[in-house]
Amino acid sequence: MIFRAVEDADLIRQATRGNVESFNLLVSRWEKRVYNYLLRITANREDALDLTQDAFLKAYQNLRKLDDPGRFAPWLYRIAHNEAYSMFRKRKPETDVEEIEPEATETKITVGGSSVFPIELSLAVASALDRLSTDQREAVVLKIYQGFKFEEMAEILSCPVSTVKSRLYTALELLKLELAPMKARGVS
Amino acid sequence: MSCSPFDLKDYFLQELPSSQRVKLEAHVKTCLTCHEELERLQLTGAALFSLRDEEIPQRIAFVSDQIFEPSPLRRWLSGFWGSTARLAFASAAMLSASILYFAATRPAPAPGAVASRSPAVATVAAQQQIQQQIQQAVSNAVTEVEARQAEKTKQLVAYIEHQNVETLRSVRWMAGELDANRKRSQVRQMAMYVQPGESGEVK
Repeated sequence: MIFRAVEDADLIRQATRGNVESFNLLVSRWEKRVYNYLLRITANREDALDLTQDAFLKAYQNLRKLDDPGRFAPWLYRIAHNEAYSMFRKRKPETDVEEIEPEATETKITVGGSSVFPIELSLAVASALDRLSTDQREAVVLKIYQGFKFEEMAEILSCPVSTVKSRLYTALELLKLELAPMKARGVS
Repeated sequence: MSCSPFDLKDYFLQELPSSQRVKLEAHVKTCLTCHEELERLQLTGAALFSLRDEEIPQRIAFVSDQIFEPSPLRRWLSGFWGSTARLAFASAAMLSASILYFAATRPAPAPGAVASRSPAVATVAAQQQIQQQIQQAVSNAVTEVEARQAEKTKQLVAYIEHQNVETLRSVRWMAGELDANRKRSQVRQMAMYVQPGESGEVK
C-alpha cells in the first residue's frame, strides 16, 4: 500500500464528480487564507466571512469550468476578488471602484501576533495599509501575505503584470516611508 | 535612487532569478546606499508580517442535498458538453461507426465496375466511349445532311417539272396559234382565189 498526501487536484476531481465531502476538505484547506485576503481588502469581518462563503459557493458551482486543477488558487482568488468588487459596487454604485476606501481598521482588525512585535507597530501597519488605495492594498495582500507570483496576481486582478508591479512598487514606497523608520525605532 | 544592477524590490519580493540574486547580493555588500535601501524594505516586510492571519470565525461547510444536487445523468451530460476532448472523441467515434455501417451494408460493386477502377482500363473505356460518341455524332450529321439534300433535290425536281409543264403549255399554245394562223392564211388565200371571178376584176 502506498500512502500519498491527497492533493488539491485529487479533491477537485472528486468534487467535480459530485463529492461534496471532497469539496468541504478543499474549503477547509483554503478558507482561512481566502478569509484573511478578503478581510484585508474589505476591513470588515462580517463582509469577509460572507464573501468567503459566496466565493466558495461560486467555486463549487463552477468547478467544472476549471480546466487546470493546478491553477485552483489563482482561480479561487479571482472569484473572491470579483465578489469583493461586486460588493464594493453595490455599496457605492455612484463611486468609482478605484476610489473606494475601506473602513478604518485600527479598531476592527485585531492583532493576533505574538508579543514579539509591539502593539503600536501592528496598529501602525494597519493604519499604513489603510492609507493605500484599494488596488495597492490588494496587491500588497496578494504578494506579501498570500505569496502569489506576479503572473498569478495579474490573473487574479485581470490586469497586465506591469500594472501589478506598478501598484505594488508604489505601495511599497508608501509603506516604507511609514513603517521602516517606525520599525527601526520599535525594534531598537 | 538605487544603483543596483537589478531592482531591489524584485529581490525583496523574491521575483529575481537565482543568478541575478547572487549578483545583487554581491552588489549590496559593497554599496552602502543599496544596502540601506534593502534594509528598509526588509524592515517594512517585517512590520507587515506583524499582522497575523485571523482564524475564520465560522467554518464553512457544504451539505449535499439530493433535491438540489443534479442527477448523475445531468452531471455526466454537463461534463460531456463542457469537455472539448470528449466531444471531439464522440464525433470521431460516430464518424467511424457510420463509415463501418455503410461499408457493411452497401452492396458489393460489379466486377466491371471494379475493373473500371483501374486507371489504364478506365482510360481505354473512356476512349471507347469518346469514339462511340464521335461516331454517333458523325452519323447524325451525315443523316441530317442527306435529309437536307433529299429535300433540296425533291424541291428542284418539282420546280423542273413545273417548268416543263409551263413550257409544254406554252408550246401547245404556240402550236395552236400557229395552226390557227395557218388556217386563217389558207382561208384568206382561198378567198383571194374565189373573189376575182365573182367580182370580174383580173389581177
